[in-house]
Amino acid sequence: MRRALLAAAGLAVGTALALPATALAHGLVGKQDLPIPRWLFAWAAAVVLVVSFVALATLWPRPRLERVHERPVLRVPAVLEVLCGAIGIAVFVATVWAGFAGSETATANLAPTMVYVVFWVAIPFATLLVGDLFAAFNPWRAIARGTAWVFARAGGGTPAPLAYPTWLGRWPAAFGILAFAWVELVYVNRDDPSTLAILALLYAATQLVGMSLYGIEQWTRNADAFSVYFRLFSMLSPLHWRERTLYVRPPLAGAPRLDPVPGTVAMLCVMIGTVSFDGLSQGALWTGSGAIAPDLQQRFINVGFSAETALEIAFTIGLLFMVGLVAGVYRLGIVGMRSVGRGHDVTELSRRFVHSLIPIALAYVIAHYFSLLVYQGQAMAYLVSDPLGDGSNIFGTATATIDYNVIGANGVWYVQVFALILGHASGLTLAHDRALVVYARVREATRSQYWMLAVMVGFTSLGLWLLSAAAQ
Amino acid sequence: MTAPPIAHLGHWYHSLLYLAPVVIVVIVLWFQERRERRREDVEDD
Repeated sequence: MRRALLAAAGLAVGTALALPATALAHGLVGKQDLPIPRWLFAWAAAVVLVVSFVALATLWPRPRLERVHERPVLRVPAVLEVLCGAIGIAVFVATVWAGFAGSETATANLAPTMVYVVFWVAIPFATLLVGDLFAAFNPWRAIARGTAWVFARAGGGTPAPLAYPTWLGRWPAAFGILAFAWVELVYVNRDDPSTLAILALLYAATQLVGMSLYGIEQWTRNADAFSVYFRLFSMLSPLHWRERTLYVRPPLAGAPRLDPVPGTVAMLCVMIGTVSFDGLSQGALWTGSGAIAPDLQQRFINVGFSAETALEIAFTIGLLFMVGLVAGVYRLGIVGMRSVGRGHDVTELSRRFVHSLIPIALAYVIAHYFSLLVYQGQAMAYLVSDPLGDGSNIFGTATATIDYNVIGANGVWYVQVFALILGHASGLTLAHDRALVVYARVREATRSQYWMLAVMVGFTSLGLWLLSAAAQ
Repeated sequence: MTAPPIAHLGHWYHSLLYLAPVVIVVIVLWFQERRERRREDVEDD
């Protein structure tokens, strides 16, 4: 009896520690009052996608996004590049310093909001609008470039980098994003500022070692998880920065230029799967009474794990399951596509169509994190003035508060639905455009996309179901 | 003892409403694909 009580108490403590209501929980604020049931939005989204598919099949007979001319519009001086790098380093140092020296209360310390809201959520939103912002502010890249410049000025130079292994491709980036998602969604100490500071330093050190071995640009393009993550989103932007010149192009036109090296499919499946798990983990199916997480946790407690570890194992299983589910759905679509026409194998098709997953990944990020950005993003107003949570007021904004009326629950829901539909319609467009290149006949190209349409409707319904479950 | 899934029917039955459009689209596309394949075979013959 005593053991059962202890186990129950442990379970309750562990659940309270790691289930909802963490300092930076992503849930909606307020109750929705929608004119139609939420599930009807999934039906409407499916109709929109089918109509988009028919429109593409009839009105888009030639590839339009594969070879697009980019128009240069602006050239910036080298000093701006140096300035952006210096700002990136300063923000990184301030975040780490706040993590070590500041308050242990997550909401009073700059570090958790900087990492989980500004870095993880705001940058993808901004990237869509202004192009690859992170490339300019990337602190570890700026440190590496500065060091290389100093060596070059000193006359020593740096040794020639090793050849980056082709087979490795973007696998390190995929594992990096999976590891970050694990910390964000599974690790019980995810909001602890000093832990975040240690992890940030470890990550930066790993990147510096990688860049010193394989060269700055080669490493950044393939293995730096966050550079790859933000660069993928930047491919959807109408603005493209290259060698200090700003080019303009049609939206989505950068995505077909994605080089599908090994690990790219895994990277995008990790991006979509981890956000999906974030949605799932906030719903009653995962955390409610008699739900999956407590049941799984109890099973691991029964074999001798502590309540906390058991919960982390349960959440890790959920995270990997969602990544696997996304990979499985995409694979199913590709296998189906292979049945159309001749001479294409699954691996080739999987890589040639992987860029169509980029807008879906961004749509999931916008849909799941929009409310977090709108509400918790406001906390930056007081956190920049009081980064340590010690009562200082550097910029005179330490007394600012979060206005939860800035947008209502209905407004958030409509933004989420719009983002999901637009993201999947964009994915459908990219896949259709590529099919016109891959398949010899237009009819074959259209038929091959039946499978992609099913995949897109599946991902849209999954996204809306997850959001709906989290909002209940 | 774990309760059978049917005991929690009220919690998850509405989830099926999200699955329904996916199932309908897949079935319609499957029939359409079969029909077009047959038509192509006839044309090839």
